[in-house]
Amino acid sequence: MIETRPDRTTRKFKEIDFYDKQETNQYFLLPFRFHRLNNQKEVLVNEVGDHLVVPDGTTHAIVTKTLSKENNPDIYGDLIANFFISEEVIPPLIDVFATRYRTKKSFLEGFTALHLFVVSLRCEHTCHYCQVSRVTTDKGKFDMSREHINKGIDFMLKSPNPHVTMEFQGGEALLAFENIVYAVERTKELALLHNKTVTYVICTNLAVVTEEILEYCKANDILISTSLDGPNYIHNENRRRPGKNSYELTIQGLELSRQIVGRDRVSALMTTTTLSLEHPVEIVEEYYKQGFRNIFLRPISPYGFAVRNERKNKYETDKFLTFYKKALDRILEYNFNGEYFSEDYATIILKKILTPFPVGYVDLSSPTGSITNAIVFNYDGVVYASGESRMLAEMKDYTFKLGHLDENSYEEIFYGEKAQQIVESGINESLVGCSDCAFQTYCGADPIHNHATQGDMLGYRPTSSFCHKNMEIIRYLIELMDSDKRIKEIFESWVKPRS
Amino acid sequence: MKHSNFVKDGEVTAFADTSLFSKDAILKCLYWFGDKFHTNVSLADNFFQITLKPLANANVKEDELDLYLQKLERDLIDFQLRDTIAKETQNVRDLLVAKAFSNGEFDEEPQGNISDPVGFNPNLNA
Repeated sequence: MIETRPDRTTRKFKEIDFYDKQETNQYFLLPFRFHRLNNQKEVLVNEVGDHLVVPDGTTHAIVTKTLSKENNPDIYGDLIANFFISEEVIPPLIDVFATRYRTKKSFLEGFTALHLFVVSLRCEHTCHYCQVSRVTTDKGKFDMSREHINKGIDFMLKSPNPHVTMEFQGGEALLAFENIVYAVERTKELALLHNKTVTYVICTNLAVVTEEILEYCKANDILISTSLDGPNYIHNENRRRPGKNSYELTIQGLELSRQIVGRDRVSALMTTTTLSLEHPVEIVEEYYKQGFRNIFLRPISPYGFAVRNERKNKYETDKFLTFYKKALDRILEYNFNGEYFSEDYATIILKKILTPFPVGYVDLSSPTGSITNAIVFNYDGVVYASGESRMLAEMKDYTFKLGHLDENSYEEIFYGEKAQQIVESGINESLVGCSDCAFQTYCGADPIHNHATQGDMLGYRPTSSFCHKNMEIIRYLIELMDSDKRIKEIFESWVKPRS
Repeated sequence: MKHSNFVKDGEVTAFADTSLFSKDAILKCLYWFGDKFHTNVSLADNFFQITLKPLANANVKEDELDLYLQKLERDLIDFQLRDTIAKETQNVRDLLVAKAFSNGEFDEEPQGNISDPVGFNPNLNA
């Protein structure tokens, strides 16, 4: 027989007055920042990245305490519920709020995840934006030695992070495929001893890929990351090689890779050049045509000639932003027509805006993701703070050289004075201009970019192309979501985990 | 004494009452004008006097200076609001960050009575 519970006489939820902690219409501010979205609206963002789009003048009303529960019940309720204001000096749920803050910074717990191994500097391409590769057959001089591969692996396995990524880069990494095989086989054995899971990635232009290589990738669960800059007239212009057939080889390699390794194991990245800026729609449509349902509209890299010309950088950034918005429009058009198609840079930012979780993207982290999230072992054993750092080194600027695999210990490289200086310069909570910025939690700090473009790791925000670009993209994404519910739903679908 | 903001001889001049605006807010506001203007602040008669002089290579046109004055006036208020929020919430922010990275040693018991509306705990009397 089932025993029935006695009737309860008490209400478990109290009357609303019970929860009303407000005395004499008083409320207290909690830390938040604001930004003017446009002439009509402003966006408020709290310490953990929750945002509210409100009418112009709302911040003024909040701060001057002219807002009230009686006269502005909706906005008042939103502000209380989202930790913008509190009816008590210390909000009762401060521990929940603190847990959310900790969650947003949880990418720091694991420390370095991405380990880039430049297995060879040799390449059969002569891309005009690449400053590091060499067209040569001299393996002895331009391939990573086995000793350096061993030491790089040992460093990687010393990372406190239980999940690490081993990414093989070049030059053209596949020209040193025997080094990749050696590295993967050694890592597989040692990873078991160190209790690590390792994700393997090969970055390749696919020009020299073979079935045998791809079979090995399939057997070892290696991801393929290739480059596709757009239709052939853009790709072949950007990525020059004998025969002027880089595009054709990439497409062939793409097909073969998808057949053997699997469609979901092959991705592509584009590099934006001056030529690309004139063809946003064509580039998006090329990705769609090739069966991709995402694209990463990466900004023009400032590493090259005249990078410290601030006026030119601003001009280039403005042109990139126009390109980005046109391309995003085309992507949204696919989505309006019922297709799933996402843009990766927007997705990274939207994850920060719409979810409680952090994104381990090196360029948009604070503290900076260089060193704390990613590290580069160059072909010659030199350790750099990032891929961009080795580009600078090619221009004879060794500011971000952290040490050498032969000469320095893990501790000296990852926790040394130089590493500390770089990371300390990459905390946007304490950078001038960033500390008051509403988009602080969505953005990051990039001391390497600042150094490359402005000659100083801390940077100067009014002329910073990094700041200019990110501030406008973040503002634009929030404005789009606010202006059209369909776009908000599309963006929400981009940040949901996809099986 | 009444102070009016003005544009004259290719320069923008504005005044900010020290009883309404903090030095921090003024400096943070002017920081963002540094890409186009040489900025100067001085203090006299309880007013900050602010001048913006276009940089030679900034390509600021004379007829745009009125718009820059309007922007300055609006930004001064915005940065004063930011300053007020930052100073008023400094302690809560410090507490929040300390708690976030404290590994739970400063956590407190949640306020209020714990009720048992669905009868999860049979030992708890209604």
